[in-house]
Amino acid sequence: METIEIGKYTKSFGLSFAITSLISALLVILKETNEETVLAWMKAVTPHHWITHGIINIILFVALGWALSMPNSGQGLKISANALIGSIVASTLISNLLIAGFYI
Amino acid sequence: METFLLLAHPVTGGLATLAALWVFVDTLNAGESSVARIKNISLICAILMWLTYFLGGYFYVVYYYVDKAFIIKGPWAFGYSFFMELKEHVFLMLLMLATYLPVAAYSYVPSNKSVRKLVLWVAGLIVPTSLAMEGSGAVIALAAKVALLLKVKGV
Repeated sequence: METIEIGKYTKSFGLSFAITSLISALLVILKETNEETVLAWMKAVTPHHWITHGIINIILFVALGWALSMPNSGQGLKISANALIGSIVASTLISNLLIAGFYI
Repeated sequence: METFLLLAHPVTGGLATLAALWVFVDTLNAGESSVARIKNISLICAILMWLTYFLGGYFYVVYYYVDKAFIIKGPWAFGYSFFMELKEHVFLMLLMLATYLPVAAYSYVPSNKSVRKLVLWVAGLIVPTSLAMEGSGAVIALAAKVALLLKVKGV
């Protein structure tokens, strides 16, 4: 018999990746277009803005992954496998296009 | 140290790409005997990608500014303005994707078609993105080389 369920952490961290990836791409545009404020802050927090960017991503990925596993009395999100895959693929493509498009 | 980091990070990145490709192919033809292997190799892929992050990141933060200064003044300035910017920012996304691969793979059993499809897509996204990172690295290295050659020739 075919099992169709996917685990709550598989769903929550998959969706967390999709969200974090998009936020990371938007942060690239935000920091590069606001050098005096956002980029300056990111440079001040750690020795390099890229380190700060990486730390923000990792914290967001873990925090969102954990938080999104909590809904429905700890059962996790109700999302189909196709919707999860679609969000991961779409997020990856859009993030890459946003970053590449910005620097062209 | 500088040369070691410069050589080591594309090696670990290349191995992470091969690990993701292994997971993809193994999942495509998965049976009961391949479950443990898929889980182990997906974990190795994530570990290698983190190693790439630390090795390449250390080089980028500590040593890259010298290369950058040459590249910007050379004829291949796009090696910095496009390829390096692309590489340093897309890699952060790739790192999370590789970290997610074992999370997805650890709930895999051959009868679960949904997780199988998910693992195939995640591994399938890691491979071309990693290859794009390797390619970008090659362009950046060549941009530095072209700039240095012209400097040596006095052009």
